[in-house]
Amino acid sequence: MKRDPVVIIVVAMVVAIMLVFGFKLARRSRQGALGEAQMKTGVAPDFTLQSLDGKTVRLSDFRGKPVVLNFWATWCGPCKIEMPWFVDLQKQYGPSGLQFLGVAMDDASTKDIAEFAESMKVNYPILIGKDAVGDAYGGVQFLPETFFIDRDGKVVDKAFGLKGRGEIEDAIKKILGQGAVAQTQR
Amino acid sequence: MPWPRRRDDFGSCSRATRRSNARELQGTGDKTTISNFITRTAALVALFAASLTAQDDLGRKSPSVTLSAPPVTTTIRGKATNVALRFQIGSGFHINSNTPAAEYLIPTVLKLDVPTDIIVGKITYPAGEEMSFAFAPDEKISVYSGEFDLSVQVRPLASMLPGKYEIRGRLRYQACDKAACFPPKQLPVAFEVKVIKAPVPPKPNPAQSPHAHN
Repeated sequence: MKRDPVVIIVVAMVVAIMLVFGFKLARRSRQGALGEAQMKTGVAPDFTLQSLDGKTVRLSDFRGKPVVLNFWATWCGPCKIEMPWFVDLQKQYGPSGLQFLGVAMDDASTKDIAEFAESMKVNYPILIGKDAVGDAYGGVQFLPETFFIDRDGKVVDKAFGLKGRGEIEDAIKKILGQGAVAQTQR
Repeated sequence: MPWPRRRDDFGSCSRATRRSNARELQGTGDKTTISNFITRTAALVALFAASLTAQDDLGRKSPSVTLSAPPVTTTIRGKATNVALRFQIGSGFHINSNTPAAEYLIPTVLKLDVPTDIIVGKITYPAGEEMSFAFAPDEKISVYSGEFDLSVQVRPLASMLPGKYEIRGRLRYQACDKAACFPPKQLPVAFEVKVIKAPVPPKPNPAQSPHAHN
């Protein structure tokens, strides 16, 4: 039976597209499958990372405290805009137990990251990020990405991309429990 | 229900009718119809896949930078020529210019691997346009968006054999949209130059003979 070459080419094309698409989907699902499972339950995936001063830091070390987990990089303009806000908010809400954590998803050296953080007068721990941690938090395809984690270790809110300071502060109030108090009082 | 024969018929028949109708199909015209149907289906699948793969898990589009097919530039041995390269940036995105406003930003840089007999001179980058992110209108950054052109100066050595030569390289860039930035990427770049011999200068006119006017 004579086969139409156009049909063969088109079928091959469709198969190729499906394979590429399938691989992409498979890679996405493999990336952070565990993290996604945890994220679905609302629990922030735990991780162990090194801080700029060489200390080993686990997210679970902060259990009992509301945590703002911010993924950033030195090359990220919007990240630089929100960092001074984080510094102020750490000062303002630190006494209420709030803890900011910055995870640098950067190819820059630890020294460069430290210099950058110092120039921004960062007053909270900066951790050297790993892809596996990014994957656990949904891939962190772009920056900044910020997760607001309550005292029980649950992700209560997220900010993908640069948001206004007001929105960030509202999310902080939620994890501090102040938002709920305000709502009850209303 | 008939096998789809017109554009607006596609997708309107069940699998069973397709099978039975397919058996009835005979002749070149029907084969063409099947081919058309499959081609359109493939195009739809490709569009669907492309639209999905161009987005990340959060529904945000991924940035894209592409190089327009550059024409082959003809250059004379031993002489410098400028090659123009045009790049397109996906809608809604910008990339840092070659001279971003801050040291911490990653500049757009073209790096070329050239054949040994071609010297790459100056790469000229356009000036960036000033923009600022929302929430920080006073902080200006220098970026490219839409289209931008680079000019690469090439000079084949005088001893180089005439012919077409491919020059390859990578454009390193880091893209952002209005609120977020994406990790730096490298775009493979390739263009051709055609090296020719210098044209032979025209011979000077021989001195006219005084007898010519006779």
